[in-house]
Amino acid sequence: MEKENKKFTGGRRYSNDEITVFWKPTACVHASYCYRELLEVFDPGRRPWIDMNGSTTDKIIEIVNMCPTEALTWKWNEDAKNDSVDKDQTNHVKFRRPELSNTQALPEPVPPVTAKVMIDGPIVIKGSFTLCYDGITKEVKESLVSLCRCGASDHPPFCDGRHRKVGFID
Amino acid sequence: MEENKEITPQATVEVIEFGPLRISGNFTLKDLRRDSEVSPGEVWLCRCGKSQTKPYCDESHKK
Repeated sequence: MEKENKKFTGGRRYSNDEITVFWKPTACVHASYCYRELLEVFDPGRRPWIDMNGSTTDKIIEIVNMCPTEALTWKWNEDAKNDSVDKDQTNHVKFRRPELSNTQALPEPVPPVTAKVMIDGPIVIKGSFTLCYDGITKEVKESLVSLCRCGASDHPPFCDGRHRKVGFID
Repeated sequence: MEENKEITPQATVEVIEFGPLRISGNFTLKDLRRDSEVSPGEVWLCRCGKSQTKPYCDESHKK
């Protein structure tokens, strides 16, 4: 199939015969799952950076579902199939496809706070917590922040993806 | 059970100027490289990239 590379509001879309992957750069927190797990498809150093012929549809879905933000989402090209996205893809459904989510699926009232140390990347903190930096105190509500661990970010304390360029290894 | 109770943040994330990241309270720390998961209550994490004990701070930023 011809490589497709179309723009949509806020991003680009990339398709193979079965699915379309949506890329919203402004939502990216540089957690780095995509290129670390599947460089054949997601290569930030290549243009276009997503090559839908680089792997199987199943593998691409698996990696897109690992993205902690809305930066990467996907849909079946055959629209009817989107209504029956498996429960084991709840991460995808719950966080990034609200129109498919079950309204009763809200878990415990106070969701746990998790701080994930990404491989050679930032620390991604998710949940509801108090964030203090530069004399500012912010209440983060059921959201996430991605904080620099490599010391090279141009926007500290937040990650801006520089760890990849400086070759940060942890 | 009380209703409409405001969600009280369980954890505090504090960015220390020219220093580490302090996380305290009720949280889980997952380290993907070292495949560990702990709930330490308080932790000081390296932000400068130089620590020899990553993800933890070893005060290398002072050197």
